[in-house]
Amino acid sequence: MNNEVNTQVKSYLTFKLGDEVFAANVSKVLNILELTKITKVPKAPAYMKGVINLRGSVLPLIDTRIKFGMSETEFTNNTCILVLDIILSGESVRIGALVDAVHEVLEIDDSQILPPPSLGSKYKSEFIDGMVKLGEEFIMLLNVELIFSTDDILNLKEVTGEVKQKFGDAG
Amino acid sequence: MDKLRQKFIEEASEHIRDIEQSLLTLESNPDNHELIEKIFRSLHTLKGSGAMFGFEKISEFTHELETIYDLIRNNKLILGKEVFDLTLACADHLKILISDEKKDNAEINEEYRNLLEKIHEVYSGESMPGKPSANQKDKKTADTGSDLSTYYIYFKPNADIFDNGTNPLFLIDELTSLGHFMAIPYLQDIPEIETIEPYRCYTHWEVIFATSESSDTLNEIFLFVEDNCVLDIQKLANGNLVDNKKFVKRIEKLKETGKDIGIDALKIISEDLEQSVASKVKKALGDEFRTSFRDYTISSIRVASEKLDHLMNLVSELVTTQARLSLYSENDSSSELTAISENIQKLSRQLRDLAFEIVLVPIDTLITRFQRLVRDLSKELGKEVSFIAKGTETELDKTIIENLTDPLMHIIRNCIDHGIETTEERLKKGKPEQGTILLNAYHSSTNVHIEISDDGKGIDAEKVRKKAVAKGLITEDNYLTEKQIYELLFLPGFSTAEHVTDVSGRGVGMDVVKQKITNIRGEIEIESSKNAGTKLTLKVPLTLSIIDGLLVRVEDIFYLIPLSAVEKIYAINHEDIDGKFNNLIVLGGERIPYFYLRKEFNLEADNNINDQVIVIKYETQKVGLVVDEVIGEYQAVLKPLGRHYKNQEIISAATILGDGTIALVIDVNRAVNHFANIITHMEEKI
Amino acid sequence: MTKTILFVDDSESIREIVNFTLQNEGYNVLVSDNGKNALSLLDGKDINLIITDLHMPEMNGIELIKEVRKMPHYQRTPILFLTTESQVAKKMEAKEAGATGWIVKPFVPAKLISAITKVIR
Repeated sequence: MNNEVNTQVKSYLTFKLGDEVFAANVSKVLNILELTKITKVPKAPAYMKGVINLRGSVLPLIDTRIKFGMSETEFTNNTCILVLDIILSGESVRIGALVDAVHEVLEIDDSQILPPPSLGSKYKSEFIDGMVKLGEEFIMLLNVELIFSTDDILNLKEVTGEVKQKFGDAG
Repeated sequence: MDKLRQKFIEEASEHIRDIEQSLLTLESNPDNHELIEKIFRSLHTLKGSGAMFGFEKISEFTHELETIYDLIRNNKLILGKEVFDLTLACADHLKILISDEKKDNAEINEEYRNLLEKIHEVYSGESMPGKPSANQKDKKTADTGSDLSTYYIYFKPNADIFDNGTNPLFLIDELTSLGHFMAIPYLQDIPEIETIEPYRCYTHWEVIFATSESSDTLNEIFLFVEDNCVLDIQKLANGNLVDNKKFVKRIEKLKETGKDIGIDALKIISEDLEQSVASKVKKALGDEFRTSFRDYTISSIRVASEKLDHLMNLVSELVTTQARLSLYSENDSSSELTAISENIQKLSRQLRDLAFEIVLVPIDTLITRFQRLVRDLSKELGKEVSFIAKGTETELDKTIIENLTDPLMHIIRNCIDHGIETTEERLKKGKPEQGTILLNAYHSSTNVHIEISDDGKGIDAEKVRKKAVAKGLITEDNYLTEKQIYELLFLPGFSTAEHVTDVSGRGVGMDVVKQKITNIRGEIEIESSKNAGTKLTLKVPLTLSIIDGLLVRVEDIFYLIPLSAVEKIYAINHEDIDGKFNNLIVLGGERIPYFYLRKEFNLEADNNINDQVIVIKYETQKVGLVVDEVIGEYQAVLKPLGRHYKNQEIISAATILGDGTIALVIDVNRAVNHFANIITHMEEKI
Repeated sequence: MTKTILFVDDSESIREIVNFTLQNEGYNVLVSDNGKNALSLLDGKDINLIITDLHMPEMNGIELIKEVRKMPHYQRTPILFLTTESQVAKKMEAKEAGATGWIVKPFVPAKLISAITKVIR
């Protein structure tokens, strides 16, 4: 193949879980919703928060905090639902992800993206597309596709700790 | 690209299936011209689209096959058994080519070459003298002269034609590749060498040109330069003047003058020449025009199934919204609003019914495969079997059709393998030589029944019972009715075949069939009598997307229980259930295991509620579910919960109520099994 | 010598299928997803034909054609653009910008190839 496509500026949506800022490629984010009535599904894993009515279709809702090994989401005025479009075993699937707050959309050039840190465990770094330094802060670009298609709880807290050690202090 | 290829593969599979279907119908009715046309068109489409998506072999293959069917449809070849079998083999091979195009498998390549050779044999050996060439274009430009016309083309590009990247010589080349020509370039406008500008065009052409192409095609060649040149294309005469010696001689003379000849001069010359050729051509053209002109009306269209799913979603959204509107208008005094709301209710109901009808597919679409299966398998096993299908126009939701294919294939396979006897055995028993498998589909209230019966040896109940004993499924002293014995066949791992044959012994048994039917909320029944045959009846719902349910509430969450599974509802005292050890309650004189859903769902017990027990039944197992409140009957449009909830044990879907609230739909089969497991578990503990 | 074709279109699937088709025909193929990126690809290369869509983000096809015609090396390189039946006005605009010809969408490979052979050999 003689393909040549140039580098691109991509847009990322940043959001907060606790004190940490994360970013997801906007192409995966269909919509941002305010909190709405959640119907709990009995006997589901804790991170499966329930289902919501998204304009007539039933949207599974994931508590991102629990998924990332944090405490359960406490609902505030800032709590939002990101409607994500992910590919799961070859099929396009819609899910809602609870986040503590939505920040802004960042334009990030490919060249600004640092490779994901090779962390102690290879398994964790798969969920991160890369890192971006914004001011003094490092933001992790999440691979939402992968994160929300696994059944596992990810200890992202641990990851952010390691990232801070590796980059934060040096940079 | 993969997506595009996937689309092509889907489309191609459908064409291959059409070809098979047409062939099988043609077997009994070989003169059906329409079907031959249909096969031809399918092959043609496969040929055309194959190459575009990188399936060159398919293109090449169908091109050759198409040649055969071109001969057949023009009555130059008879659709005999040889061609018939060859085409079926080819259809099989096409299926392989679709799936294995990328793999370079020697075996497949060998088969490919073999089939190509056979195709060649068929059309070169049997075609009539003067067989039409495979390529229509070759035929048309063939040197017969009878279907040619002569054109005059004057082409003078603007001087700046090179500036936008056009090379006029390419156009002349392209033109002349289409037929016989005399091209006369005029170079007299080229200036003295000192004043030449290399990027200006000083040449123009007159071309006299004999071709079978239409003047549209000729115009098309100059499409890009229409406004950058002087162009004149005119028909000079019917027939080929370029090869007419007299004509050429006179042109040569005119050329010597170095001036443009012009259409007028040429017309005079051509009119001087013989007229007879022209009249013949006219007649031929007229005939061709008449035969190629046909009326086409579209009676059905193809729609991507995704679009249908989307339509269904929108319709159910509309129904939901409409329910909200009704609710709102009831509380509003405006009679105008009530009238509008009622009207919308009527329209959305109609729309919903229509939409549900659209996603219904006739069982007919499955039959080809079955016919094929019966034909191939009976041949393989040396049995004579005919397959009859009745009521194939009966329609079912496409999802159900999709889920019925495998179970039905398995059942039919069983009929041929185990049911129908060999020819000798049948003759000995005084049965007709040929066995029969009958598929009969019909409506029965909101269900569709599909019966598959054979006139084979029937099921030997005693043999089944003994085997079940041997397998430890029952004990020797268990008394079972014949019906109960047949039910054993559906237990996992049960197979009556003494030898594992190539046909049925593939590890999947009737238990899988049963599972699949259950998954689509269907049931299966067996009847059999020795030496007379076996009948299996599948009862499946018309659609999977709508359900009549009983709406109940536990705490703040609504649940929907399919009405078909609800036996009875009892009001009970809270004390009768709370804190009881064995989870059994006597209702209507029967001891029934019950589940206090609040407890099951990890909610606190509420002593202030008058609980109600709903007894649901799946097959023979009854289970009571204790809920806070029974709200009433509700017709619901089912919505999937999404893959993230696929492992859910009790809930299989959701629905949206009039006020936008979500209700969870209880999967009766799974719920009963889930609770039954708990009971067994508890009993073991005790 | 193998001819090189630059294909510009913002639809990935179209890029892929065209790339596939043209490589099958023995052409060298470069692809780009918009005019701006296409321009940077032209530099220092010998491209024999440019095929571009008209509607693209960043820099559209007409702007691209105008820019290409300003480059001395590509003043007479054939440029084809992709268009739909309904865009007659666009056709004229593109031709005025310096395009050689057009290919009507949707197209099959045969149509694409026949249009290409009208302008390069």
